[in-house]
Formats: sequence, C-alpha cells, structure tokens
Amino acid sequence: MNAMVKYSKITIALLLSCLVWVGCSPDFPVDEDGLLVTNRAECYVSNFELLGSDFQTVRTKNAVIDTVAQTIDVEVFYGTDLRNLYPQFTLVTDAKLDPKITGKVDFSDLVTPKVYTVVSGNRKVRKPYTLNITVQKR
Amino acid sequence: MQRNFLKYTSLLLSLVLLMTACEEEKSIIPPARTELQNDVIKRTLGPNIVGLNLEFAYAMALAPERGKLVSAQVEASIPGAGGTYMENKTYYTNGSGQDVGTEVGTALPTEGKITKVNFTKDTSASTLRYYYVIPEAARGQEVTFNFSATSSTGETVTYKMGPYKIAKMDMKLDMAVTDAAASYISIADMAVYTAEEAATKADKIDLVYLYRSIPGIMFNHALVSPGANPEYMPDLTLPAGVNRSTKIKKEWNLRDQHLARLQFGVFIDDLDFEKINLTDMPNYALNMRAESGAWVETADGRYRAYVYINSVNNNGKSARISIKRYAL
Repeated sequence: MNAMVKYSKITIALLLSCLVWVGCSPDFPVDEDGLLVTNRAECYVSNFELLGSDFQTVRTKNAVIDTVAQTIDVEVFYGTDLRNLYPQFTLVTDAKLDPKITGKVDFSDLVTPKVYTVVSGNRKVRKPYTLNITVQKR
Repeated sequence: MQRNFLKYTSLLLSLVLLMTACEEEKSIIPPARTELQNDVIKRTLGPNIVGLNLEFAYAMALAPERGKLVSAQVEASIPGAGGTYMENKTYYTNGSGQDVGTEVGTALPTEGKITKVNFTKDTSASTLRYYYVIPEAARGQEVTFNFSATSSTGETVTYKMGPYKIAKMDMKLDMAVTDAAASYISIADMAVYTAEEAATKADKIDLVYLYRSIPGIMFNHALVSPGANPEYMPDLTLPAGVNRSTKIKKEWNLRDQHLARLQFGVFIDDLDFEKINLTDMPNYALNMRAESGAWVETADGRYRAYVYINSVNNNGKSARISIKRYAL
C-alpha cells in the first residue's frame, strides 16, 4: 500500500514537471512580419528579374549578381519606361527583403541607384544590394 | 459456436431482406404540357457595342393536335438599326455539323420597334433567330426585348429578355498603318492619316506608327505620340503643329475578342476604360508585337482607347490595328 502511494506520488510529480516544461518552452519564433525565424545565416540574392508595365521582361540579358560586392547590374532595352517597373528578387531560403516590394517602382533616377537589403533566415545578417540599371544605347 | 454463427447469419439475412423489401417510390413523369409555350436564349457574349448584333434564339411550341404556330414577333424597347431581322428559317444540325435552314414563314420588314415573322408552313414547333443591330440611339442605354408568339388556337405567349446595357465605347477594326505613309493615328476620328492629311488635322493626331530596324536595339514596330522625345522618332519630321502628347501603356496577353477575333473569351468593357489609371505612363511604346496592345489616353483627356495590333509586317513596314475607344 505504501509503495503504491509512493509510486503514484512520483508519477504525479513527473507529469506535473512535464507540464511545466512544455508550458514554458518558447513558441516557434516569428519576426515582425509573422514570418518564421529559422537558424539559417545565408544571405544573398540568387536571381533578379525586371518587368515592364506589360509584365514582360525588360532585361536585354541575365542580370549580373555579385554576391561579394553586393551589386546587381542589369541592362534594360532601349526605350524602357523606367518609372513603371516591377522588380522581382529571388532570395536564398528563409531570407527576406527590406524594403518590401509592393508594386511598381520608379527607377528613373539612375544617378542614385536603389538599395535593397537582404535579411537572413535567422534575421541576424543584413546585406545591402545595390541595383544598378543601365539603359541599352543606340 | 456454430449456433452463434447461425444466429448472426440469419440476423444479417433478415436485415438484407428488410432493406430490399423497402420499395422505392415510383418516379412520376409529369404529363406533357400541350398549350403554347416559349423560351429564349441570348447567343452573343461580351459587351454590347453599337453596330454589332445582339443575337437571340426564340423557341416556341404547342402540341400538334392542338394547333399550329401563326406568328412570332419581337418588340425592342429601342428600334434596331438597319439590318435588324428575324430569320424565317428554322435550323437543324446535320451529320457534318452544319446548320441547315428550312423556311417556315415569311419575314416581314422591321417596322420601328417590331420585327415579325408569319408562319406559312404547318408547324407546331420552331426556333427562330433574331438579330438586333444595336443602333446609335441606344448608346449608353438599356434595351429590353419582348418576344411573343401566337398560335391558331388564339393563345399568345410572351417572354421578356433584358435589360441589356449598351456600351458607350466605339470600335473600329482593321486599320492599316504603314510607316512613312498612312502612319498618323487619330483617336478622336478613329482614323489613320498620311502626313499631308495630318498637317491639316494637327490637333487630332494622337499617335504615330513607326517601323525602324535598328541594329543592336529592339525598336521595330512602335506607337509614339508626337509629343514624345524626338529620339523615339528617328529620321522622322513631324508635320507642322502635330505635337500632342498621349499617354501609352503597353499591354500583353489582352486579346479582346471583338478586336482580335481569336479564340480568347476576353472582352474590354466600359468599366475597364473607366478604371484604368494611366497617370504615370510614358508617351511612347516601342517594339510592339503582333497580338499585343496599348492603352491610350489622349492629351486633352477626352478619350481612352485600347489599340490592338492584329498583325505586323516587317518587310512591308506596316501593321493592322483595331481600336476600342471610350469617351470620358
């Protein structure tokens, strides 16, 4: 009888401690956008596309992405309307872009190229990429 | 053990019997109606544009032993334009899939709002097509149709269709534009002019069609507004006074069925012209391809249009364009 009481006490204590442990373990961490924060530290742009107002590409050739110098060089067709372009970044897994792209972007100021920052999956590495656009010459 | 088995088997069997014993109710076939009846379907799709047809198929029938059809008529709330008529033939589809017509009556000329067919054949069931050519008077308004049929028994049936909203926009198909010849496009006139003609209508020229084959860049077929940067009009001297700056937005994959007459069930309606925002758009569009198009807003803000490129010809330095235009 004594032994049974003892066992049940131990079992209850164990269960309780389990509950406390589960109750206190943190939820999966999310960032301010509600995106999952993972433990990936990779931080780079893997592909870049630029679309015109008709959603067709305006690139004359593939964009050159330099992940060391953190630059993207893209040449667009002669006569491209730089005020109404839709950039598309492809990033490494779990990374995100800052500022976010929400619609068409005005790239007509070629002198001061736009800078987009890639944020790694663990949200600890931030790498600014400079987007250099050149227009094809006649 | 065996007793148990027997018990369950008999129980199961009796359940099955019980289920099959529950006879379904007999379905009731309703008795065929013998009085005069009618029905209408609208066969045309998309926005209703002035000058185009609204096509209906009007079906009417009564039991043969009861009587025969005497007449069918349609009354439109707004008289149709010239060419509005009702078929005096009823059609069936033959083995090759072709519609074969059989004359069943005499078509009377459309008088005002009323189009009528008097049956001459002894027929108790028929489907007649009705073609309503949308008149200018109906632009921006609603049209309703009253279909009615009478039979030899003196019965009359009616069927109301509509109201159908008639679009405010205009349409012009298949205009040929040629570089250095008929290349000045006027949205206001929905016409193409030569340089000499353009000089006399300078305030109406909204676009210039150009074809340039320049090595290293994609210029090709272009729609450029006269007010654009002259670098987009190489080797072109505009007629005096032609200087309007039109907003142009290139579009791809928008093959309006009225303009393109292709298999795509896409239509541009009045609402699209009202909603589109062309504020920040440029005043030129280079490298236009066949089956592409461009939204256009004239400099005076009076018209918005969609210019569709039906085909291009590099050797002939020409293109065929179709336009839908909406007056703001």
